[in-house]
Amino acid sequence: MLLLRMAFRNLFRQYRRTILTALSIGGGYIVFVLSVSLVEGSYGNVIDIFTKDSVGHIQIHRKSYREKPKTYLTIDNRKELEELFHKESKIISFAPRVLSMALAYGKEKSTPVKVLGIDPNLESGVTRIKEKIFSGDYFDSIPNADGYYKAMIGSSIAKSLKINIGDELILIGQGAEGSIANDIFIVSSIVGNEDSFDRMTVYLPLIASQSFLSLSDEVHQYALLVNTPKRNVEIADELQETLSNLEVAPWQRIETTFYQTMQADKKGNNYTLVLIVFLVFVGVLNTILMSVLERTKEFGVIRAIGCRPSKLILLINLETMFLTFLSISLSLVIVIPMIYWFANTGFLLSEPIDMGGVMFQHMRGEFSLYVFLKPMIIIFITSMLVSLPPGFRAARMTPKNAMDIN
Amino acid sequence: MSMVIEIENLTRKYGKGIGEVVAINEISLNIEYGEFTAIIGPSGSGKSTLLNLIGGLDKSDSGSVLLAGRDIAKMSGSQMSDFRRDRIGFIFQAYNLIPVLSAEENIEYIMLLQGIPSVKRKERVQEMLFLVGLEGLGHRRPSELSGGQQQRVAVARAMASKPEIILADEPTANLDSKTGMALLDMMRQLNEDQGVTFVFSTHDEMIMKRARRLIHLRDGLVALDERNSNATP
Ligand SMILES: Nc1ncnc2c1ncn2[C@@H]1O[C@H](COP(=O)(O)OP(=O)(O)O)[C@@H](O)[C@H]1O
Ligand SMILES: [Mg+2]
Repeated sequence: MLLLRMAFRNLFRQYRRTILTALSIGGGYIVFVLSVSLVEGSYGNVIDIFTKDSVGHIQIHRKSYREKPKTYLTIDNRKELEELFHKESKIISFAPRVLSMALAYGKEKSTPVKVLGIDPNLESGVTRIKEKIFSGDYFDSIPNADGYYKAMIGSSIAKSLKINIGDELILIGQGAEGSIANDIFIVSSIVGNEDSFDRMTVYLPLIASQSFLSLSDEVHQYALLVNTPKRNVEIADELQETLSNLEVAPWQRIETTFYQTMQADKKGNNYTLVLIVFLVFVGVLNTILMSVLERTKEFGVIRAIGCRPSKLILLINLETMFLTFLSISLSLVIVIPMIYWFANTGFLLSEPIDMGGVMFQHMRGEFSLYVFLKPMIIIFITSMLVSLPPGFRAARMTPKNAMDIN
Repeated sequence: MSMVIEIENLTRKYGKGIGEVVAINEISLNIEYGEFTAIIGPSGSGKSTLLNLIGGLDKSDSGSVLLAGRDIAKMSGSQMSDFRRDRIGFIFQAYNLIPVLSAEENIEYIMLLQGIPSVKRKERVQEMLFLVGLEGLGHRRPSELSGGQQQRVAVARAMASKPEIILADEPTANLDSKTGMALLDMMRQLNEDQGVTFVFSTHDEMIMKRARRLIHLRDGLVALDERNSNATP
């Protein structure tokens, strides 16, 4: 095509300048892709760490339980529900939980604790609880010879009650019908450290917690993991439709503070990206302006022989688009393997960093169409916008004035 | 005979106050279809300004230019562009070809603007090159052609769109006299064979002898408008 050939040759007229511009567009694109990959990757990472610590991707409760966490507000159609979870391919795992508060007694002291009844097998499919055992062994649901169940306790409980593995732990709380609940448990392990969210939590096997609270086979909560964590909100909405008597909430609605902190952080990153785009913008604008100014006379001739003003703008635009296309295509050759490595291997930071309360040390990017496409679209739009003012300038002059310029 | 160019009280001034120059001063004149007219006069007499105003490349201060009956002041930017593209051919003093395009492509470009299909364009390019005697040189860039050859390409480009009028501003000024004469002969041939109206400016005695009508400009005024009955063949 003659127009493309023309654009191409015009670019190589001042090839040194063209190469510099191409480098600034390409460099801008690479930095842009890297930062989008980093932002998406590390937030993906943080979300992964955060959700698998306890919340999961989606939580289900009895309606109004979250506003008023009464022990009797339970989910009781468990069989039906779990069949649904098994059938739904988007759900990869689920964990039933019983929640309560209690007073814990060690040898001489007492402290208020959170009681979390979990199914030992199912829970480890949703959270990293197994890897968080600090000492002792991950528990099971089998009572010992005396009929006592095992309990796993947070570090702060162990410290303040001065109890250790093998010791007895007495819990006193309130059962579902208001009766006093009390039971003895044997400490099987200590979980996490004193920074963990569960430092004041007592984990009980699900059946033990149910009998402690005089519940039948009921639970207060289900935590779910889904196959596409990024679409958990949609999946939660879908589930909500079928489970109208329950509340289905994505983690973003459960942990609002964390979510908002993260969003704010992300916004901060966007300013960096705006700066990159601006720098590319200035560099490109300068070149296009120069190359248009130099060719004012030529544009005058083109207009004189009958090129419409709008077509001239298009021609100038085409040149810029073409340059942008070439620069980005070449950059892709470099940036695709780079991001591939970044997403699959990544690197270890010398110091772990704290992102919204979650520590992480392994930096990994994201490798997805979005990571490449978003910067591409933004840079294309930017360079198109950039080439408009010089184009308008060239189109507005009378051909005579344009041709007079030397 | 009907007029292809009708000019009435046309005025173009440059600058303001004491520095004001009246480049074209209330000129009125008509040119018929098929004429071969030279605008002559010393440097600064307003030849280029007049040709630019006729072609709509410049804006007048007052007066009117009608091309084929249409007032160009009343046309929009795109309409004027389309009119130039389809009905006027331009040849400038400085060859003014597009440097990144080869001779062929320069000729083709205007037809591209006209929306002529590729195969037809290519055919006509060869025809035009033959017409101006540049067969075989079509692939050369302007920088690889002599001045006379470049000006022939400019003529071919002006002819390619099949215009009714060709406006040429001192087309021979940068050529040696032999080459200039040859170019003019070619232009006259095209005028006779194809009936294209030519208006060209010159201050070369030899060149003006070839014209059939001579419009003498002096200080932006028509000093003399004469028929040259014994134009050299
Ligand atoms: N862009 C311009 N700015 C100011 N004066 C101009 C401009 N173009 C032409 N002129 C003046 O207008 C007059 C006519 O110029 P021009 O039409 O170029 O004459 P010619 O082509 O016969 O040599 C001259 O006095 C010239 O100085
Ligand atoms: Mg002149």
